[in-house]
Amino acid sequence: MNDNGSIVAMEKISKWFGGTKALDEVSLAIPSGRIIGLLGANGAGKSTLLRTIIGLYLPDEGRATTFGTVARDLGPRELARIGYVHQEGELFNWMTVGQLIRYVSAYYPNWNEDLERRYITDFEINIGARVGSLSPGERQKVAILIAIGFKPQLLILDEPASALDPIARARFLDLLLELIQTANRTIVISSHILSDVEKVIDHAVIMDHGRIICDRSFDDLREQYHRIRLTGLHGPLPVQLPFAGVLDCRRNGTEALLTVRDQTPQCIEDQARAIDCEAEIQSLPLEDIYRVVVNEK
Amino acid sequence: MLLQIDHHSGQPIYRQVIDQIRRQVVAGQLREGEQLPSVRDLAGQLRVNPMTISKVYSLLEMEGLLERRRGVGLFVVALRKDKAGQTKADMLEEALTKAVVTAVQLDIPEDEARDMLAQLYQKYNSKMRRPSHE
Repeated sequence: MNDNGSIVAMEKISKWFGGTKALDEVSLAIPSGRIIGLLGANGAGKSTLLRTIIGLYLPDEGRATTFGTVARDLGPRELARIGYVHQEGELFNWMTVGQLIRYVSAYYPNWNEDLERRYITDFEINIGARVGSLSPGERQKVAILIAIGFKPQLLILDEPASALDPIARARFLDLLLELIQTANRTIVISSHILSDVEKVIDHAVIMDHGRIICDRSFDDLREQYHRIRLTGLHGPLPVQLPFAGVLDCRRNGTEALLTVRDQTPQCIEDQARAIDCEAEIQSLPLEDIYRVVVNEK
Repeated sequence: MLLQIDHHSGQPIYRQVIDQIRRQVVAGQLREGEQLPSVRDLAGQLRVNPMTISKVYSLLEMEGLLERRRGVGLFVVALRKDKAGQTKADMLEEALTKAVVTAVQLDIPEDEARDMLAQLYQKYNSKMRRPSHE
């Protein structure tokens, strides 16, 4: 671990693929014990960032350390503490699922057979099936099992739930929450399915075109934006509305729907009362927050 | 302690949990001196991130509703009368504000709303309800 207690520390990382800058001076510190959601459109740089954490890609510029070791020097000692599920899900197709699990588990003295058994039951994994014959969703379940079976301290999940059906996704999220109950375990999860990750993450990192445009506690992020439904108490709304930080406003004569940033509910209510209106204040779902943050930058 | 999380409400989870615990303390469902589950137990039970629960507990501790006894756990504090009264009044005001706003917007006169409030008291307040065989 390095000085600030982070298990991953990135300083001004840049990475090119040909003429494309996949990471653009990205700095990120990941403290232990968190579930971090990594969000962004296709091509935003999420997978590149995740691969840089485990040294699969080396940065062209900047410095990345994981467990205090520079990405280039990550060896078996550090890698044995990291679980990684990637989008492609490359596994040995000629093995049966059971063989694959035995093969992978042999590398880890601390492989957890209880967890393995329970996972196989809960996720209805057919250990007799040939890996090559599995559907994408079934493959993903197997990939997740072999990434968590040795109870890694850092679990990196690149779009892990995209091929899972809704029930398996819900079980999977429960599993993540169960894993994090053990102290000092950290999970970084990238996903497009924002309604899923918002149930488990405590920190959000949003990427756009190779840059990190938002890196903050999920609770803070949620409370930064509000949606206001404004209705007049006695008749129509005034032409001028008094609110600050308005990002979006749709209105007619009697009602308005606003999105605002950095306004406390108390302040919104006071301003609404001053113009003889009632403000119904709601938080935004992660999907809407994401859209606002990306449009704002 | 029965708590419920609504993942679709948009309200941050820690706020939902705080509101529910506060309500239970003020309403006496959680009694003075009662011990709260550990962060891990409650997080496991609600299936939420343990960080969320430790945040909830420290905020409620700061608010003076819970007290930490070192090495033992968290307990419900004896609420001062005036503080309990104020918290109750705040909660009721929040609920009534919504009702009054609806009444004003629907143009319902104040005395009509008062009558309705009185009727609702009759309906729900068991101490006022006469024993009947209906």
